[in-house]
Amino acid sequence: MSLAADAFVSQIAAAEPWPENATLYQPLKEDQILLSDCASSLAVQAYLRMCGLPVQVVCRANAEYMSPSGKIPFIHVGNQVVSELGPIVQFTKAKGHSLSDGLDDVQRAELKAYMELVNNMLLTAELYVQWCDDATAAEISRPRYSSPYSWPLSNILSYQRQWEVRRKMNAIGWGAKNLEQVYEDVSQCCQALSQRLGTQPFFFNKQPTELDALVFGHLFTILTTRLTSTELAERIKSYSNLLSFCRRIEQTYFEDKSS
Amino acid sequence: MNQIMAAAMELRCWGGDWGLPSVHTESLIILAYAKFSGANITVSPVDWTWKTITASVPELLCGDSAVQQPTQILNFMRKQRFNADYELTARQGADTMAYIALLEEKLRPALLHTFWVDAENYINLTRPWFASRSPFPLNFIVPSRHANIALSRILLTKGEAPLHRISEVEGRIYSDAKECLNLLSYRLGTADYFFGNLPTSLDAFVFGFVAPLYKASLPSGSLQSHLRLLDNLTRFCDNILQVYFNSDHLCPPPPVQDTMDANLQKLTQLVNKESNLIEKMDDNLRSSPQHKPHRLEPKPSPSSAKRSTPA
Repeated sequence: MSLAADAFVSQIAAAEPWPENATLYQPLKEDQILLSDCASSLAVQAYLRMCGLPVQVVCRANAEYMSPSGKIPFIHVGNQVVSELGPIVQFTKAKGHSLSDGLDDVQRAELKAYMELVNNMLLTAELYVQWCDDATAAEISRPRYSSPYSWPLSNILSYQRQWEVRRKMNAIGWGAKNLEQVYEDVSQCCQALSQRLGTQPFFFNKQPTELDALVFGHLFTILTTRLTSTELAERIKSYSNLLSFCRRIEQTYFEDKSS
Repeated sequence: MNQIMAAAMELRCWGGDWGLPSVHTESLIILAYAKFSGANITVSPVDWTWKTITASVPELLCGDSAVQQPTQILNFMRKQRFNADYELTARQGADTMAYIALLEEKLRPALLHTFWVDAENYINLTRPWFASRSPFPLNFIVPSRHANIALSRILLTKGEAPLHRISEVEGRIYSDAKECLNLLSYRLGTADYFFGNLPTSLDAFVFGFVAPLYKASLPSGSLQSHLRLLDNLTRFCDNILQVYFNSDHLCPPPPVQDTMDANLQKLTQLVNKESNLIEKMDDNLRSSPQHKPHRLEPKPSPSSAKRSTPA
């Protein structure tokens, strides 16, 4: 969508309140969804719960193809379909719900910078581990990604996806890295997040923001997903304040379901 | 611990122009960091050598080891005790990582596009510059190879499969880049450097990304005009050039700036505050000429009114 169309749509979005039947689409939870998609989806769910906006999670095998940008997750609200955390945050802001209004300019700059850090490092590392590491790709990613489809479509789709991700990794310079370096990068990223969080309950002290949702989504998913090796989870576990952060958000927003 | 090795560091990088020690972002980052941390490195530009195609630029050679990629090179220099960041707190170190990620994700695609993909800039500025600095017959190969790499990088990271067309992502990457520049401007505020009174690696990265955009004479530069409106960033670049690179070619801000009056400054602040919506409309703005310095009102010609003077 061009920018002018985006602006037009968000003006229309601002006119209507949040409906009751908003839905969030993601791939099948048990069989199909992969680590990176699950992390992004959980981040969006956490964000919407923090805003207090009700949303139903629906699992569909073709969620990736229904999405307007090809990325998971996407939400279907009223007449609009919005995908990915960034546009969803802007969309909810247009409707009047925002978590980062109380921040001043410098803090907002920090917020955006840390969100990019998570996207740049954690998400890329997740993609690398899933698709560029041969063991994981063969045992977990390819079978899961193609599970709803029969042969030969399953083979074609999974290898195509793997090829795409590997191309992207080569373009940004991660193709030359080995697994150990990727784990090291994840450690550094977690160290930065841990230092930023310190002893505060949330990243920007009292109130959760979209950064908290994003970090929670990624860390919680990595901690609770079974991969071929537990190295990734171990690296995160060495930062205790991040662990307690995840637990706190899980308890506050995900366990007391009042719907 | 080879202290002797520390003295013999050589950096292979692209040469300088437009008042900068190097026109290449990564090379500039390392040159700036070396100055900040007081490291003595000999600069050997790859211009006019076959290394333009065989070597990966920039590359730091120290004794037997060769290090590539700016982050690796900076780590290597830190291990050699050339550390510009030792006064930073842990949290500031974390902030550094975050802002560098912001630069990479939001600003780099637009910079690549401005220099290598935008047809006017590429044909009039970038390609002649790189072609003139490469020996025959590489002058046919080197620029187009860089341009292809730049285009594929933009499409792979920002393009939405399966529609891999550059026109659809252009608007988005430019608005992201403008927002990134605004955020950097807010963070810098009125200070000379990002953390206190001494420059650090973050300053080196920001300088490396922003300085070529600031100084190059781009025929079509909407991002450049946006940057020129952010006084503190341009002052930041000039300050570093003056203090650390002793440049005599300190170009004073182009005379266009002088004719921008206070009204335009206020408008700029409004735009920055309402950045979301207005940058969305930027698609339309980009196609029309921008910021023409014609605020001079025509002086009313002295009216020689014929007055009937009373006799």
